[in-house]
Amino acid sequence: MIRFENASVVYPGGVHALKNLTLEIPDGQMMVIVGLSGAGKSTMIRAINGLVRLTEGEVTIDGQSVSKASGRQLREIRSRIGMIFQTFNLVNRTTVLNNVLMGRFHNTSTLRSLMGWYRPEDVEIAMQALERVDIVEKAYTRASNLSGGQQQRVGIARALAQEPKILLADEPVASLDPPTSHVVMRDLQHINRELGITTIVNLHFLDLAKRYGERIIGLRAGELVYDGTADQADENVFRDIYGRSLTADDILEAAIA
Amino acid sequence: MTAAAPARTSRPVKPRRSMAIPIGLAVFVVITWLALSEQFGIGFDLVALIEDIARGRGILAELLSPNWSFVPRTAEPMIETVQIAILGAVIGCSIALPVSFLASRVTARNRGVLGVTRTVLSVVRAIPDILWALLFVAAVGIGVLPGILALVFFNIGVVVKLLSETIDGVDSGPIEAARASGANGFQSVRWAVLPQVLPNYVAYSLYAFELNIRASTVLGVVGAGGIGNMLFTQYRFFNWSNVSVIVIELFVLVILIELVSIQLRRRLV
Repeated sequence: MIRFENASVVYPGGVHALKNLTLEIPDGQMMVIVGLSGAGKSTMIRAINGLVRLTEGEVTIDGQSVSKASGRQLREIRSRIGMIFQTFNLVNRTTVLNNVLMGRFHNTSTLRSLMGWYRPEDVEIAMQALERVDIVEKAYTRASNLSGGQQQRVGIARALAQEPKILLADEPVASLDPPTSHVVMRDLQHINRELGITTIVNLHFLDLAKRYGERIIGLRAGELVYDGTADQADENVFRDIYGRSLTADDILEAAIA
Repeated sequence: MTAAAPARTSRPVKPRRSMAIPIGLAVFVVITWLALSEQFGIGFDLVALIEDIARGRGILAELLSPNWSFVPRTAEPMIETVQIAILGAVIGCSIALPVSFLASRVTARNRGVLGVTRTVLSVVRAIPDILWALLFVAAVGIGVLPGILALVFFNIGVVVKLLSETIDGVDSGPIEAARASGANGFQSVRWAVLPQVLPNYVAYSLYAFELNIRASTVLGVVGAGGIGNMLFTQYRFFNWSNVSVIVIELFVLVILIELVSIQLRRRLV
């Protein structure tokens, strides 16, 4: 279980990105965070793996504090949390497999990683991760030669190769076209349901949030303004989260699915 | 249009133009004027070029008729030059690679380490190749060793400068991904940063090798081995047609290295 307790983040410039957030995310849940850009979605997600440090309050995972961890302990916590990114964040100049093997760092000594001597069982775990997102035949292709959708699936495979308990996805489909977006969201849904991995996704499309989210929370200016099931979240709720009337840009497809 | 024009808000104040460029230009003009003046000048005079142009005619004629029979005698020092250049580049660039990561803001997270590395490297770079050669000739005596040592330091200075600035500009996305997966610093540098800068590193190393071949001329002058020594001797005896052979050979060598490096880069990027 992930727990936010009075969590606040103030960036050096004085921006209050997260305000006094208290929230619990039970194991195995598929939770979607919605909100305008700048509402604190990315900050909240990065607070879970300590990429962003809280200025006040605490984030704990199964009782262990992320906010107080550092060094080896923090790396150990992060190894149990997979993360995928809006811009995929792959290393373009190397192979897909080398990218996915980054997910095995926590299980590989520094010397082995420097030389690239990954153990066969780690390579097999990476291959299985690629199989799960249906892209294993591209293992030895350079990452730069893949399409956007394929690159994001490699990003998912890299996270899965960590064999994580939690998966964080920061705007995973914002750089993709609508059909590809659905492929990626379905992959995330399958991973959540079949592997029981707690999955937290930032989205700004209402229809995707309603369709794939089990639970939806809304952030506005760093504050929690909505917390409920996808069914309860109707247009009025989104209007409230966004603080304005809805436009076509808020919806991936012409009609809300 | 039925919509009313939006209410006029105040306009931002146009920032004042910086005086840096006009002041810089003025300083430049003054310095140029001083350099040409009688009292402070460096004695630059175009008249000498015109009056004495004929004096070089004999030398030029000899330079244009290279003494090809001299080629066999240049073989040994030429090979020595290439060996010094290769050893200097291999050792220097091998040291430069890890040091570059300590000299980049992206990979050296400890500000102290970054500051110390950068300061030491500024000093290394401030010392020209001929001074390194003189220092090492004084320290270890005449021969190829001071030449190699001089080139090692010269190459560290050049490659670390270029590579650390390339590292400053890498895509930070993969580094964030590595950190998020629990990678330690070494793992992140090896797999998130190095693949991004590897082609540049190879290009810079080949450039360092090319610089070493050129530097061989000055290395020889101070007794640090290679073709430079022979070039200097022939020049002292006014054997211009022999000097010509050496210059042509160096020219061909540099062109060859350039061709090889173009091919290598094409394959790597």
